[in-house]
Amino acid sequence: MAANVDLFTIATSGVNASNQLLNTTSRNIANVNTDGYVRERTTFTGSILGSVGQGNTERVINVFAQNQLRRDITSVGELEAFAQKTSTIDNLLASEANSISTGLSKFFASIQTAADDPTNIASRETVIGEAEALMNRMGTMSDYLQDKEEELNLEFSSQVERANSLLENIGALNKKILFSQSGSGQEPSSLMNERDLAINELAQMMSVEVRDGANGTKAVNLTSGESLVMDNGSVNLLELSSGPDTTDKQLELGYNIADGEPQATVRLTEDKLGGSLGGLFRFRNEILGPAQRDIGQIAVAMADAMNSQNKLGMDLDGDLGGDLFTLPPLSPQGYADNSSATLSMDAAFVAGKGTQMTDADYRVEVDTVDGAGQPLTVKVTALNSDGTVKQGTTEQSITLNASGPTEFSQGGIEIEFDSSLTYASGDAFLVQPMKNAASELTLATSRGEDLAMAAPVRLTPASGNLGDAQMTSLTVTNTWIGESAFDGAGGITAPSGAGVSAPVEIVFTSATDYNVLDSGGSIITSATVSGGYNNLLEQAGFNQDYPGYDFSLEGLPVAGDSFSVSYNTNGVNDNANAVKLAELQQTGLVQLSTNAASEPRSLHDSYSSLVGRVGEKSANSQISLEAAEAMQEQSQTWFDSVSGVSLDEEAANLVRFQQSYAAAARILSTAQELFDTILSAAR
Amino acid sequence: MRISTNQFYNQNLRSLMDNQSKLSDTQEALSTGKKLNRPSDDPVGAAKVVRLTEELDKLTQYQRNNDFLIGSLEQQETVLDGITSAVDRARVLTIQSGSGAITDNDRAALGSELKEIRDELLDLMNSKDANGQYIYSGHQSDTPAFSIASTNNGNIISYAGDAGKNFVNVSDNSKIQSTSSGFDVFENVLARLEFEVNPTGTATVNDAQINSQDAFDRFHSANFDNLTPANNNFELTVQASGEVELTNSGTGASYGTVPFTSGQPFTIEGMEFTVTGGVGDTVDFSLQTPEKKNLAQTVNDLYEVLSTPGLSQETYQKALDDTLIGLDNGLQKVALERSSVGGRMNAAQSSYSNNLDLEVVTKAARSAIEDVDYAEASVEFSKQEAALNATLATFPKLSNLSLFDYI
Repeated sequence: MAANVDLFTIATSGVNASNQLLNTTSRNIANVNTDGYVRERTTFTGSILGSVGQGNTERVINVFAQNQLRRDITSVGELEAFAQKTSTIDNLLASEANSISTGLSKFFASIQTAADDPTNIASRETVIGEAEALMNRMGTMSDYLQDKEEELNLEFSSQVERANSLLENIGALNKKILFSQSGSGQEPSSLMNERDLAINELAQMMSVEVRDGANGTKAVNLTSGESLVMDNGSVNLLELSSGPDTTDKQLELGYNIADGEPQATVRLTEDKLGGSLGGLFRFRNEILGPAQRDIGQIAVAMADAMNSQNKLGMDLDGDLGGDLFTLPPLSPQGYADNSSATLSMDAAFVAGKGTQMTDADYRVEVDTVDGAGQPLTVKVTALNSDGTVKQGTTEQSITLNASGPTEFSQGGIEIEFDSSLTYASGDAFLVQPMKNAASELTLATSRGEDLAMAAPVRLTPASGNLGDAQMTSLTVTNTWIGESAFDGAGGITAPSGAGVSAPVEIVFTSATDYNVLDSGGSIITSATVSGGYNNLLEQAGFNQDYPGYDFSLEGLPVAGDSFSVSYNTNGVNDNANAVKLAELQQTGLVQLSTNAASEPRSLHDSYSSLVGRVGEKSANSQISLEAAEAMQEQSQTWFDSVSGVSLDEEAANLVRFQQSYAAAARILSTAQELFDTILSAAR
Repeated sequence: MRISTNQFYNQNLRSLMDNQSKLSDTQEALSTGKKLNRPSDDPVGAAKVVRLTEELDKLTQYQRNNDFLIGSLEQQETVLDGITSAVDRARVLTIQSGSGAITDNDRAALGSELKEIRDELLDLMNSKDANGQYIYSGHQSDTPAFSIASTNNGNIISYAGDAGKNFVNVSDNSKIQSTSSGFDVFENVLARLEFEVNPTGTATVNDAQINSQDAFDRFHSANFDNLTPANNNFELTVQASGEVELTNSGTGASYGTVPFTSGQPFTIEGMEFTVTGGVGDTVDFSLQTPEKKNLAQTVNDLYEVLSTPGLSQETYQKALDDTLIGLDNGLQKVALERSSVGGRMNAAQSSYSNNLDLEVVTKAARSAIEDVDYAEASVEFSKQEAALNATLATFPKLSNLSLFDYI
């Protein structure tokens, strides 16, 4: 038995093994601050020769902990992006200086002050000033949101770029690992660490699933199933595209990249993506888009209501009131798959329909066309800001007017097709009425005199009246020249086609019977009062559109009493319409429901519901973020407690392996001494 | 559990950060005095604060409207007071003019004083507000409410405004009338109602006058027909039974009978007739169309009478009676308006104090939502401070412990 030879072998293998162990320990200590480093352990098996067998250095890792950590990274990534972006809107709404609500209050307060004293030019100018300030506040907020959208688009492209480079990186590492593992049989731990790090970074951007393949490769899929990185290292890359609204980015996955161009693309469901990218899309779809439209809707509803009411009055110059605000023009955009990319369509707000307008976008699709390619019918679908169909709405099928614009059956929008273009069934356009409306809304006048504070008509009781009947209200419902009895030139006459001449006087023939007379003194009609002296012209058979005014009396008239209506010439001190303008503050003007028949809400009410909604989303996302961070902390702890380096542990190992090294070296010296002993004994 | 080195550092770092961020939140609340610094701090509360702030802004504006309203009503009250005392003086002068021993010179003197009163009244009815707008012109406040014509017949003082009134909002649901039209207050005043004996009757009318103006006014307003003049003609017929019957010549309606003795006065519906005649004789009379005269015009009428010398005593007396009744009717309207102005001022004041109450309640509600509770926040702050202190104190101690220091 050649024991001494064996002793040398054993000693050598022991020194080697200790050396290897010290190496591993040193690597662990050295990499204590390296990102993604997984502690390593070297294990040995005994050898039949009695020496230490082949050592194997492996990463100490728990795949379950790793997967859990990755999933938690994804949810933290998503919520962090969402919460951080939402909090910017949250902060914007919190700022007193930008508050639309303060602007509205000041604007309406200035109208009331002006109504107290309608002849005061200074207080009229204040109304215009406050209107400008309100426009600025709304515009600033809307511009800020538009900037956020642009910023978001930049962030989308940089994140997509980063994700693609990570995907390529993971693919390349897969190839290297396959090569190295099948070559040496040793685990290429640094490559694996690098890949795990890349996968975690990717997981921070989107929710992915990882499957272990043969020879240490890993395949990466989106949680929704689309594969990103294959075992063999080939990858599918993400790309951004946009719908008809070019500022509205969409995410696609390109398959079978050849020469840098994908052979096929598939649209991803952006807000189901998870991770920071999903969080950003979710922010856009749930917060930014709706907030933009809500502010636009408040602005348009306010402007339209003010315009409508102002038109029912008379301004300080004695003219019928006009628009105070100019509603922005709409620019519908064609879908990419239209029969021609140059097709266009016109759309506009319908004045006076402010309470029907919702925050919806509309998809207008040509249904049938005539021989010349002119649309006959269209299908209109109300959409959310993210392009999905609004819940609770049904497709409107609309037959177009032969000429001129056609109004939607709901929504207060009208459309018109270009008669010089040729359309095909299936061509579609996207109308976004409210998205940028608040930025584009402008004042139609800068003159305080244009505020129509007076009613355009006045009622004069004849001085010979013997009864005690008095006017209680004078209502103006229509001043449209050509339809109402207002001629726009300071007079009251019947427009052509009205049928009957304009009623300008009523004369009682008894306490309850009266004649309605025209300006020539001829009797137009006779009527009997029923149920009080309210709206006497309506009781006589006139409607709201013609003559466009009406009045009510209280007290008891006697036969022979007469009341005459005339244009309110010189009625500068009248504040009847100003009081109505001021009352718009309390009036329901904004349609928050998708159903146009629902009760509209007041301007402040709808602003407060926007604040409440964003605040709630922001608060919820903060809470969810905290929860997700706690989860991530836990799984990180789990992962670290398995795979993290502990310096104390390594210090102990260092001492231990130093000792085993010394001991193995001691075997060598012992063997040497034994050998010397034998040699000297034999001398 | 195995604790890796990084895990130890990360955990401590995280709890440091957490503590610091909580501390900074509490500090923000303490320094701004608000616990609601952004909508996410309390979404439902934030939405409520928007509404409550709107409510407060509106209340502030309503109070401003109210101040304006009370100012304007106070001015109107002053004007109406002025008018009342001027009319009272005119009334005294009218009565003075009726005393028996009065010469033409005295009349002229009284007349010139009445002219002064007329001008004073005209001036008051054409009062302007602080912006130079005529108060009583209705909506046409650029033009004087009453103008005086130079011609010297009929009514020379006429109303040039309209019947417009303004309202001011003093709360969400209540509006208070802020201006009154001169038409309602001054112009729409009935002059004395009268009747006229027509010469078509067969009896001899020795005397016909109004004996009780109230009774006659009732009869007049019940029976005057503004549409068919024929219905305003009445006939008294002497009956065989020794009574007279009053019938309407137009409609034939009968208004009853009173005993009749020829040559003796009898009274029917406030009218006193002294008639000589036999059975079948008639007296025809008609109700005169009511005339409207404003106070200044009434005073002017008397002034004109007083400055016309040599009028018969009968005409003179009638003019005085007309004036007294006209002044009373006018004063009645003014008194009505004064009480209406007073009522509106009361309403404005009560709405003012209601709004103040509401303001207090609304402020309290808003404060409860958005204002920080300093005691609670300070306690919270010291708690968080203690936690941060503890972390800061223990972290270095723990991190100094390393096995490497011992080998």
